[in-house]
Parts: sequence; structure tokens; C-alpha cells
Amino acid sequence: MNILIFIKQVADTEARIIIKGDQKSLEIENKYNMNFFDEFAVEEAIRIKEKNKDTQITVCTIGSQKAVEALRTAIAMGADRAFLLDGSKAAANDPLSISRILAAFAKKEGFDMILCGRQAIDDESANVGVMASELLGIPHVSAILKMEVVDGNTVKVENEIEGGRGIFEVKLPALFTTQKGLNEPRVPLITGVMKAMKASIPVIDPATLDIPQETLAAGASKITILSYESPQERPPVKIVEGETPEEKVKNLVKALKEDAKVL
Amino acid sequence: MPKDIFVFVELKEGTVRKVSLELLSKGKEIAGHFSSTLYAVLIGHNVKGIAETIQPYSDKVIVVDNEGLADYRWDTYTGVFEGLLKKYNPYAVLGGSTVTGKDFFPRLAARFSGAIISDAVGIDFHDSGVKIKKPLFGGKVISWITCSEDSVIFITFRPNSFGVEKGSLNGEIIEEQFEAAKDPKINMVGAEKHVSEKVDLQEADFIICGGRGMKGPEHFQILEEIAGIMGGRVGASRAVVDSKWREYEDQVGKSGKTVSPKLYIGCGISGALHHTMGMDTSKVIVAINKDPNAPIFHYADYGIVDDAFAILPVLQEALKKTREEI
Repeated sequence: MNILIFIKQVADTEARIIIKGDQKSLEIENKYNMNFFDEFAVEEAIRIKEKNKDTQITVCTIGSQKAVEALRTAIAMGADRAFLLDGSKAAANDPLSISRILAAFAKKEGFDMILCGRQAIDDESANVGVMASELLGIPHVSAILKMEVVDGNTVKVENEIEGGRGIFEVKLPALFTTQKGLNEPRVPLITGVMKAMKASIPVIDPATLDIPQETLAAGASKITILSYESPQERPPVKIVEGETPEEKVKNLVKALKEDAKVL
Repeated sequence: MPKDIFVFVELKEGTVRKVSLELLSKGKEIAGHFSSTLYAVLIGHNVKGIAETIQPYSDKVIVVDNEGLADYRWDTYTGVFEGLLKKYNPYAVLGGSTVTGKDFFPRLAARFSGAIISDAVGIDFHDSGVKIKKPLFGGKVISWITCSEDSVIFITFRPNSFGVEKGSLNGEIIEEQFEAAKDPKINMVGAEKHVSEKVDLQEADFIICGGRGMKGPEHFQILEEIAGIMGGRVGASRAVVDSKWREYEDQVGKSGKTVSPKLYIGCGISGALHHTMGMDTSKVIVAINKDPNAPIFHYADYGIVDDAFAILPVLQEALKKTREEI
């Protein structure tokens, strides 16, 4: 089975982010990781391979040269090979453009199954995976919590649906987005890290894929960032005074009623 | 061409979700600005009675009612919307950034090669169109985004982004028929729905969250009782969920749910970044922690420095009283 995984390198949640003076760009501290939800995708693919040796796991990402680190992490965990789709060669970077590039790469490489995290934790958009499945004309199931490969053509999954879990049987090829709870992603072993360091990772220019060139130009982006701003800061905390719990609660309730007006 | 607005109406156990009413309220303002038409779009089975409940919130209510649409599936709903969008050609489609919204809108946007912005929290007018407010990096940065208008714009909003205005319209109900073709490659073999009286965590106006300071799952009972009094929900930190004291569906934070209730109370929560990223858009934040240096106090409006176990029973009584006064 050919498993293709889309991953994204994202700023660490602890990374400092500074809005530049023009309010049009950001300076992000040099702390990056593989997107939290993508780790479940990589782990699930490795588990499938452990049951069926005849499996090839390919990871890819769109990004700068730096994103190779996230690809190496996936190889260290157990992925077989990785590709970097050079983001600097594609000016269009809205969800539709990114999905087009990923879908075109998937088509070129071939796959039985595509896995990716249910959303990226930097923009929380949850768009690209599902959009790529639509562009590829394949079914998808989002936020999967359990997966069982029935045979080479069929997969049974459970996923998060509104107010519960859904259970689906899906004919491959198909795309699945992974949710926390699917598995426990492994920490790479030192042998894996060594292998990842030595792995050669081809860089692919999106322009060489089968996509209309005009859809890669900056003007093709359907959305444009106008400006960035800092979130409104809360005033400093008001510590509610009181000698006893009763007094503190009384003062808190009074403040919530009369000042904050939320009770 | 008029800039008509579509709102995808989501149902939960036979009633309209609050997030949909919020979007209809905001949609009315937008359609008013553009002198265009606000359409509520209701898809399902036996939903004609529900359609009447949203007439006050919309200029027109489009109803697509057939057996195949009883439950949400992306394949059938996308098919129906494809027909509707081609026929009505709206300027923008609004929906909730919910489990369903996140599954449905990208599929639809890709089919129409449209602009998509998800998990937005605000909208304003810009040039001849709109600009959208969307937090990035867990709320560390707020971005304002515009969309090209050469195709439909799809936007999902976080629940509790807008208030619900009292409906004063009387939207005409239009019944449409569209085929709900299922993708034969995907077969739903079952579903487990939690039968729950609880409000949705993302839609709750009141959330009381417990952290590791609650010391064990049994101590969440009092939080449940307080949430019950306030008609709200109990949330939990990641540490609590990882310790299996609470279900993952209760988790507030970066790897859980993003919430913005009117009132959030954190009990025994230290305020690690991955938690505060999921709740810092709450209107009012109260922190109860015995450690005066806990980072949560940097995010809170009001703080009580004390043992949560001493405060909670007193708070429960006091909140009960405020409810009785109403």
C-alpha cells in the first residue's frame, strides 16, 4: 500500500511572534515543529506498515528549505521517503493554491491513501486536506479516531462527528485527517534519527507539476492579508480580596454582576 | 449584482444551533449594508417546522427537505449546495467553525474554487466588500483578511463571535428540490451519539474549567453542579484529559476546543500556554488558584488566590442565589 502524508511545519506554541512595523509581516522566533495533528498521521501510517510490510510511506510538505526538518522528523519516526515542495516558487499561498499543489503532487506520485492532521495549529484552518481530496475526486473522512485496514481496497474508520462518533467503510483511494486520540505518536529512536539525517530529500518546484501556471502566481490567491495586529490586552487582573472564602466569593459575585455584568 | 448572503443553518437534535442564529443576526447587518438578500439555508429531513422558527431571522429561508438529507454527510450536502449556489449565486456563504463546518466548507470551497477563511471571529466592511478578522498562532496575532470577489467566499466563524439579535423579519420559505447523491465509495456503517443534555462546549455562555489542581476526577462533580446551575459546561485542561479524569471532548486549549464564553472560570488551572490559547477570547475570565504566581492570573480579569476546594462550595451557593433572583 502506498501511503502519502501531507505535513506542515508550524511555529512552536511557545515561539515569540513579533508584528513588524508595517503590520503586514511577522517575525517568528526560530522554534518550529511538525504540526501536532500531523504526528498522528505519521504514526498511523507506521502502524499500518508494521502490520503489512509491503507498504511505502511518503511524506511531503510545502515550505521553505527549513521545513526539511519536519520531514526529517517524519523519517526518524519511520517514514520511508520525503519530498519538499518548494514554497518559495509558488507565490499563491491561500488554502486553494496549496491544495492544488498537494493534489498535483499526489497525482504524480500515486497513492492508495492520504493522511494529514485535522488542522494546522498555527492558523487552525482545517482546509487543505479536505480541499485536496475534492480536487483529487476522492472521498475523505475528517478527524479520525480509529482506523482498520480491512483489505487493500477498504478501510474502516471511526471519526468525530457532531455529538459523537461516526463509523465509515471507505473504498480506497481516500483521504483521512487525523485527530488526537487516534494513537500515541512515538518518539523517534536514535537509529531513526541517524537514518533521517542521512536521507536525501528531493526538492520539487511546484511549477514542474501538472498545474496551470497562472494558479501559482501571487494574483491567484483568493485571500489577502490586509494587516496584522496584536490582540487587545486585558487590563491587569483584579485580585478579589477577602478574609474568608465567603467574603472573597461575595466580592467576586458583586464584581461579576455590577462591573463585568455577566451574571 | 447584489451581494446576497447565505447562512448554512446547522441543526442539533432537531433545533437550530445558536451559532447559526448568531450568523443570521450578523448576516442581516451585512445584507442590510449591501441592500441585498439574506438567505437562511436549511437542509435536512422533516425540517419544515424548523424553517418557521428561522423566518424571523432571514429575508428568505431556502429549505431542501428529503430523506437522504436526514443526517449531515459531506457528499450529499455538497451536492445540494452545489445546485443552490449555481442557482442563487450568493456573494458569501457563512457557517459555524464546528465539527460539521470544518468538514463541509473546505469541500464546498474546493468544488467552487472559492476563497475560504475558517475559524474567523469578526467581519467588517472594506472597499466594496468585506474584511474578515481571524486569530493566528493561538490568538497571539490577529489578522484582517480580504477576499477576491471573482468567486464565492466561504467563511466559518467561531461560535460566540456574534450576539443573537431578536428576529424582526418574516422570511418567505422557498422549497427547493436537489438530488442528494451519496458517494458510493463511502458507506456509513454506524454512529454513536452521546445522548447528552449538555450544551455544546463551543457554544456555552458559561464554562467552568478544572485543571490538575482539582486533584482527581471525583472532584469534578461540583464543577458539574455549578455548570448545571449556570446552564453551562465543564471544561478541562490537557493534563486532566491526559490523566483520563475527563473525556477529550471536554478539553479546552490548543489541542482541544477553542472557546469564547461570556464567563470562564478556571479552577486549579496553572494557565499553560496551550490552555490559554483556547480560552483567551472569553469575554470575562476568572481564575481560582492557590498559587498567586500561577500564569493564569496574567490572562484573568478577576482572580481569587485561595484553595479551589474552599471556594467552590461557597461559589456554588452564591451562583445558585443569583439564578434564583432572575
